[in-house]
Amino acid sequence: MSLLSVRNVHKHFGGLHALRGVSLDLEEGETVAIIGPNGAGKTTLFNLISCEDSPDEGEIWLDGRRIDGLPPHLAAARGLARTFQNGRVFGNLTVLENVLLGAHTRLRGLTDPGTRPAGAVFSALREIVLGIVQPRRFRELEAELTAEALEILSIFGDRLIPRFHQPAYSLSYANRRRTELARALALRPRVLLLDEPTAGMNPTETDEMTEVILKLQRQGQSMLLIEHKLEMVMAVAHRVVALDAGEVLVSGPPEQVRSDPRLIEAYVGKTADTAPAGAAAAGGTRFGASAALTAEV
Amino acid sequence: MANKKGSASRIRMAAVSALALALLLAACGKSNVAQTSAQGGTGASPAATEPVLIGVTGPLTGDNAEYGKQWRKGFDLALEEINGDGGIDGRPLEYVFEDTQSDPKQTPAVAQKFVANPKIVAVIGDFSSPASMAASPIYQRAGLVQLGITNSHPEFTNTGDYIWSNSSNQKDDAPYLAQLAVNELGKKRLAVLYLNTDWGKTTVDLFIARAKELGAEIVAQEAYLSNEKDFRPILTKALDADPDALILISYYNDGALIAQQRLSVGFDETVAVVGIGSIYSPQFIRLGGEAAEGVYTSTRFYPGDPRPEVRRFVEKYREKYNEDPDTFSAVAYDGIKILAQVMREYGTERRAIRDGLEAIRDLDTVLYGKASFGSDRRLQNPRFVNLVVQNGKFELWQP
Amino acid sequence: MLDQWINGLVIGNLYMLTAIGITQIYGVAGVVNFAHGSIYMFGAYIGWMAIAWWGWPLFPAIALVLAGSALLGLLLERVAVRPFARQGSTILLLTTIAAGLILDNAAQVIWGPQTQALRNPLPHWHFQLGNSTVTLLDLFILACGVGTALLLHLFLYRSRAGWAVRATAQDREAALQMGIDAGRVSRLSFALAGAFAGLSGLLVGLYFSNIYPTMGASATLKGTTAALLGGLGNVPGAILGAYVLGIVEAFSVEWLGSSYRNLVAVVLLIAVLLFKPRGLLAPRRALNPEPTAGTFIPHGRPLRFPRWAAPAAVAAAFVLPLALANPYPLQVLSIGWAFALMAVSLNLISGTTGQISLGHAGFVTLGAYASAIFTSRLDLPFSASLVISPVIAAAIGVLLCYPALRLRGQYLAIATLGLGEAISLIALNWDAVTLGPLGISNIQPPKLFGYELVSPAAQYLLAFVILLAGVWIVHRLSRSHLGRALRAVREDEVAARAFGVGLSRYKSIAFGVSAFLAALAGVLLAHSYSYIAPDTFTFALSIQVLTMIILGGRDNIAGAVLGAVLLIALPESIRFLGEYRFILYGLLLIFMLRFRPCGLLNART
Repeated sequence: MSLLSVRNVHKHFGGLHALRGVSLDLEEGETVAIIGPNGAGKTTLFNLISCEDSPDEGEIWLDGRRIDGLPPHLAAARGLARTFQNGRVFGNLTVLENVLLGAHTRLRGLTDPGTRPAGAVFSALREIVLGIVQPRRFRELEAELTAEALEILSIFGDRLIPRFHQPAYSLSYANRRRTELARALALRPRVLLLDEPTAGMNPTETDEMTEVILKLQRQGQSMLLIEHKLEMVMAVAHRVVALDAGEVLVSGPPEQVRSDPRLIEAYVGKTADTAPAGAAAAGGTRFGASAALTAEV
Repeated sequence: MANKKGSASRIRMAAVSALALALLLAACGKSNVAQTSAQGGTGASPAATEPVLIGVTGPLTGDNAEYGKQWRKGFDLALEEINGDGGIDGRPLEYVFEDTQSDPKQTPAVAQKFVANPKIVAVIGDFSSPASMAASPIYQRAGLVQLGITNSHPEFTNTGDYIWSNSSNQKDDAPYLAQLAVNELGKKRLAVLYLNTDWGKTTVDLFIARAKELGAEIVAQEAYLSNEKDFRPILTKALDADPDALILISYYNDGALIAQQRLSVGFDETVAVVGIGSIYSPQFIRLGGEAAEGVYTSTRFYPGDPRPEVRRFVEKYREKYNEDPDTFSAVAYDGIKILAQVMREYGTERRAIRDGLEAIRDLDTVLYGKASFGSDRRLQNPRFVNLVVQNGKFELWQP
Repeated sequence: MLDQWINGLVIGNLYMLTAIGITQIYGVAGVVNFAHGSIYMFGAYIGWMAIAWWGWPLFPAIALVLAGSALLGLLLERVAVRPFARQGSTILLLTTIAAGLILDNAAQVIWGPQTQALRNPLPHWHFQLGNSTVTLLDLFILACGVGTALLLHLFLYRSRAGWAVRATAQDREAALQMGIDAGRVSRLSFALAGAFAGLSGLLVGLYFSNIYPTMGASATLKGTTAALLGGLGNVPGAILGAYVLGIVEAFSVEWLGSSYRNLVAVVLLIAVLLFKPRGLLAPRRALNPEPTAGTFIPHGRPLRFPRWAAPAAVAAAFVLPLALANPYPLQVLSIGWAFALMAVSLNLISGTTGQISLGHAGFVTLGAYASAIFTSRLDLPFSASLVISPVIAAAIGVLLCYPALRLRGQYLAIATLGLGEAISLIALNWDAVTLGPLGISNIQPPKLFGYELVSPAAQYLLAFVILLAGVWIVHRLSRSHLGRALRAVREDEVAARAFGVGLSRYKSIAFGVSAFLAALAGVLLAHSYSYIAPDTFTFALSIQVLTMIILGGRDNIAGAVLGAVLLIALPESIRFLGEYRFILYGLLLIFMLRFRPCGLLNART
């Protein structure tokens, strides 16, 4: 049984059939990259896996338990952590607080949501009382998590450590993305969902991020990754799944997928048909990716 | 560098806040004398004798400001007379009007302010029940008379023996209105609309009890909120009950709106409109226009009343303000006059005024004629006149 | 039956006028303008002067109203909106409230507080439908409402200026980059909204044949409800919402009685928002689009004071009764402390969790009534009631608010406003328990350990100690993981949820603790006032408490206390200004915000 298994999911938005029967598996310790042109349904798929949205048809299983349709905060409790396409840090929280929030689900027994209404009320009251009284055990846990958060931040060298008391809105764009990744790691996720972790980064920053991801891979972190920069995909992915128009176009080892003619057609054909000069600016990364593809061929 | 600048600004900020707070507190603690409300040039010159001060707590701004304004007209007229007539044993009588917006979070503060000022010998106000009764315990504990001039809440005077009222007492007004509607106008099927406040609720209960005693049937009984403006639905409901009279337990503003809107839902002249005394005001006709024609009311106060005390009050009022007084200016006038009579006879000590209110008999008042306070610390034995609106005026009505 | 339908349509007509104005300005400027009602009232007065004083016919009077209130809209934009445009919509909420306060009080000074008669100059033509009459004025109002909606639509979609207005509404930054003069667009929007508000004020004044300085408040409330029913920013929605509201209200009067009218309106609003969160006529949308990067509005950081500052301030507050002989400032401060407790508690909802609540008075009312009932009717001692009443009030409060917690931003704000009103309406209508409109009188004074706390100094100390306890609770929570989770909800609900912060759980926690503390303040005030009635704690109080925390600095406990004490002491200390006092108060508020836009105790970063 795979760690994460997406089985034949469909999703409609009004008249748009955004996902048409997508299936996907992620094994323990594996890194799978999802690629595809804009509008292929990558982020929609991410939203379904992280339970931000629920599929119209199909099932999603994590660790042998079905998760589709769960509210997102319970999915997080099951060990799913994600980053967002545009970087959604908590602007007025400090870097450290952002990372500590990532560990929220690990305050188990404290924040346990409970299943029955009575249990939920009781546990909420308990959480309030603990928050006010702050017994020793509670302060120790907080201190441990803080130490761990600093450790996680140190993955990025001295990019974030000197700034850990600054509010996140004062960070550069790349640092916000790093903070977001650190926050996701603090959850100790079973599956880490990365939505374009290097979007908007320059080549040096991209290389650094690639290194970080490789390091996580070595530590055995299972990852699902949306990425446009093909070079990076080649460097980190064990397998690649290419989506187009809501369907899996090709999937397999990176080398094999890269040279698949259907993929090139999907990118180039689209670019030729529908990308007038103005829209190209918005789809910059895509354009770059397809250029990279054609160059490789 | 940045840090240093930050701490400087912090210290400045702290200093400014502390200073502002200190100033505010100092201003709060300032004595009242400088704030004595300006009153139209009364005869009293700033003589060597100290003025006698009455504290007034009431609305000069906010939702109820118009009533505060009417009060002030009554007060000023009363002071003019009293001070023209030698004041209180040679000392001029003055009042300090503190605006509370009739807001219960401001009245206790004003009460403490009055209590703390030894020059204040008695207090008049406040306007609404929540505002007045929030302050009553403070007056009671300090032993300063609080004379409520518009406080008909049945519990108002129960806070203690320093709390008095010369306002209309619903125990008298409501049954009298029932008598007018049932006995004198001969109406048997009554639809009652009432303001859903402490005043309206008290009044309507007393009205209905008496009307039933007199043999009338209450075919509809509908409460409305004090900020209501759209009475069409409630009137339609009342009309469906097929009444022969529409009873209004209202103030003049909402009463005028009801009178007006009743015509557009199909009420006609066959259904009499009978309103409680509070609709009596020149404003009722001004706002109601033609729709006010034929509306009956019974009131303690009517400028056309032939009683000499009323004639004198109305003439002076017209002379000074060039308009007719309404009930609110009349109760205010009475309030000051009552206190003045007590002080002339019993002195201006706080305690003496309380004892005087209890002891004094046959006070001269506009609303009650010769009257005395009862054991409930309210004036007893009111008199009523029946009025009807004719040709844009309230006229005396005889069956 | 037919009659009530017509009654509903006629009043819906009036709601429509205001609803269109409110929905338009929201769609264009993205601001819920709290001074809208004041311009509406000014428009009515301008028209009244033209018709009643100068004897103008209706149409020139309307032209004058349009011009005058458009100017007023421009003035509002210049004084209360433009200087704050970069500070985000919360500050604008406050500056427009302050501007409204200034205008309302100015009107009282200029025209006097009394209600003025405004005769309808249109011919008295009418026709009969069932028992009801429909007059020419009703039709004229309908024509004006629909006509102006159409004109606005043409302007927005057919003219270049309208195109610029729409572009700015969509994305101010992008519009600026495309060379649109955003300042001009903002002026234009406010002039238009002003003109529209003034016209509706005049027409509603004509309908009721009377006008008065505070007429704006209830009209805006109904207009906002109708606009929300239809979906903010959606003009056909506003028209539909207005008629639905009118008809539902008419039938609620028929079936339940007029006292339930507003209660039913609140229930209707919340029910609609639960099933159609974006209003009746909004298209279904599955997910919000991802926000673009870099759109944070900095809150500012709390100023740091030396470590001794807080203990010193507390010690100073404790010895103050010894230093002051005069009980008046003590009384002012003890009410100040009770309000500070409300501010500190609201700060947890609005400052920390970022949920704008306009119904705080409801929690205060719950606490006050609970304690009044327990002590007067069940003979519970004050000390027991001090603990039990807030707990019960908090439980009821959370239960009532729970369904509304899914709503966001302005929708939640209006829903909480409605809930606050609903609580006082329940107190009014539930005679058997609350004694209805009579209220509960002779509530015993606070009594602890056998001592009656009746002297000003004792009440001051009691209030201060309770405030300290409240501050301590909020401070501890704010520094714990809970504070972090609540702030995460404020910053980004989607991201917070994705990290295990269940929104309804944590919003309920914020509302629960906040309701507990607000109810505690209610208990304190009920026993200090000795009398409470359904209208003791009103909507105005909710607004005032919100003003306190914005003034002090959002998410800043010391700021909330300072804001409360200032806003209670300020009107007391400028009493000598009489009728002008709230004009100055409004001006001071705007000035303070002009120079410290993040609040008094927050520094800009």
